[in-house]
Amino acid sequence: MVNKQSKKQTSKKKAIEEIVLSVKDLQTHFYTKWGLVKAVDGLSFDLKKEETLAVVGESGSGKSVTALSIMQLIPSPPGFIVGGEINLEGENLLNKSDKEMQSVRGSRIAMVLQDPMTALNPVFNIADQVGETLSIHKKLKGSQLYNSIIDMLEKVNIPAAEERMKDYPHQLSGGMRQRVVGAIGVSCSPTILIADEPTTSLDATIQAQYLRLLKDLQNEFGMAILFITHDFGIVAKMCDRVAVMYAGRIVEIGEVREIFNNPKHPYTQGLIKSVPSMDEDIDRLYSIPGQPPALWDVPDGCRFSPRKESPCCDVCINEKYEMVEIKPGHLVDGCKCCRGTCKSSKK
Amino acid sequence: MANTLIELQNIKKIFQVGGGFLGSGSKDLIAVNNISFKIEEGQTYGLVGESGCGKTTTAKMILMLENPTEGTIIFNDQDVFEASKTDPEYKKKYKSSVQAVFQDPWASLNPRMRVRDIIGEPLEINTDMTKKQIRSRVDELLVEVGLQAYQSNLYPHEFSGGQRQRLGVARALSLNPRLIILDEPVSALDVSIRAQIMNLLVDLQKEYNLSYLLIAHHLATVRYMCDKMGVMYLGNLMEEANATDLFDDPLHNYTRALMSAALPSHPDIVRDDEIILEGDVPSPLNPPPGCVFQPRCLNQSKCTCSKTPPSLKEMKPNHMVADCKCCTTYAGSKLKKA
Repeated sequence: MVNKQSKKQTSKKKAIEEIVLSVKDLQTHFYTKWGLVKAVDGLSFDLKKEETLAVVGESGSGKSVTALSIMQLIPSPPGFIVGGEINLEGENLLNKSDKEMQSVRGSRIAMVLQDPMTALNPVFNIADQVGETLSIHKKLKGSQLYNSIIDMLEKVNIPAAEERMKDYPHQLSGGMRQRVVGAIGVSCSPTILIADEPTTSLDATIQAQYLRLLKDLQNEFGMAILFITHDFGIVAKMCDRVAVMYAGRIVEIGEVREIFNNPKHPYTQGLIKSVPSMDEDIDRLYSIPGQPPALWDVPDGCRFSPRKESPCCDVCINEKYEMVEIKPGHLVDGCKCCRGTCKSSKK
Repeated sequence: MANTLIELQNIKKIFQVGGGFLGSGSKDLIAVNNISFKIEEGQTYGLVGESGCGKTTTAKMILMLENPTEGTIIFNDQDVFEASKTDPEYKKKYKSSVQAVFQDPWASLNPRMRVRDIIGEPLEINTDMTKKQIRSRVDELLVEVGLQAYQSNLYPHEFSGGQRQRLGVARALSLNPRLIILDEPVSALDVSIRAQIMNLLVDLQKEYNLSYLLIAHHLATVRYMCDKMGVMYLGNLMEEANATDLFDDPLHNYTRALMSAALPSHPDIVRDDEIILEGDVPSPLNPPPGCVFQPRCLNQSKCTCSKTPPSLKEMKPNHMVADCKCCTTYAGSKLKKA
């Protein structure tokens, strides 16, 4: 175990610490009949070159809205990006026009969605769908296009690619469909691949195949992956860093091992404890009491206090707080009580 | 040891699919092929396997929603299908002692009924309780599953996913069943809510001495909840043992592959010998002859079992494995957990 750890760290140091995507204080709000929903409310993170950053959280925590905000695919109205910056290799995407964004999507940032059946168009064969991005962004034509389509399908391990490329999505199994979506995603060798729960609809053995494929593609194309998931298993298996989201904000971000071994925010601690293990018998599983707040009714001060076993003190509960770096690369967003640094809670 | 509550003996289910007028040219789809297992009183039996392996069809036969093509189901020493033929009342009695909780709490509750009616309906149909008695029983059940009595007036959409799953559990409990079929009860829920529901189910089991049949594909959930478990592949039971034994020493290559494909609970858990299966599950319409796992098996070149289907054999005490030579030996080093 110790060996593996040190190996991992040295390989990390070798990687170039170049930031490809930097999100600063992003705010995406939705105007709904229930009121203002702050789906993403002050979100900041950096994505480094060739790394895999996991974004974990429960449904409604703002993971997918973050992804859609980066792609600028928020349905508007009701959704608006009301503040912040999204810098892709130094350019703020929020200043780009729709047309300029079109040339970014698919070629520099690509996305793999959860359900391959809705991501693929049922009335076009897969060659057309893989070819579309290639012909638009790389301007390929004729035999060149044909060859690169086969090439892409072979890269994602579609057997007999030359024959299967004329198949329609319904003729493929779930795992194969998702691999085709992956092929479309990486076809223009993007800088960033956003994977939004790509394996949720797959079976366990197929999921293992797909995760390995994503890792292989990442090594080959040198992309950074933003992996959106709710499964801590995937985080443990294939991610370098993890950001835990709760009610529209990142509550904790850091290296995967650091977060697993030394979680500081009570929400992260609870989440990690509430996942059963396959490797040992557990008498009783920990469960976080209560449920996430409704997003139109998020508390002003500490968001997590209502779900803590001992609520935060009166001062902390109402105080605004900022993200604090407690160790290099390990940031926690929470009131003093949640971080365990409040004097009144220490007694 | 506890008494056997329900026993499945050589259950087989064949569906006729396709075909034209009067079923000419239809094909046989063997959804469940000759499986047998027992569930003891107060225990949880887990069925795991990938989609399409026949887990849900098995559950449906236990719920009497499908008739098995062959085989018998013995409940409390009585053949269920025989008894219900001779005694029409028996079916009603049996169905009230076997209940189910489904995967999707959004789809399994009628959106136009109040909670009071959803939970009270089984009581209204199956018992002679008065309206007043039913009402107080519903309130009791709500409290039992961690909700509040006043919520009986609400509609399902006013609840969150976890709360709805609690309603499903309350409905299943209403007739004091002996066996509850849990078909993926937590997979549609959020991580922090899953643990709540699993703990609720475990508590209720202890309180009422309930038996569960848990259908799941998330192995850690199975390990946490089950006493005994079976692994299914393409309609066949491949391996069966006590949950702890099976996790600590899986004997069949499919079980090994399933476990190696499962995600770790900590980044430091690295499986020395990762098995990633090639290809997909074959179509049940056209299953491979002999051992169904053979086309995806790791030492298929040496396989001698491709002609005759293997039967279950007790390789270790209480540990049954499909007796296929190639699938129960693995050339590589033994699967280890860090």
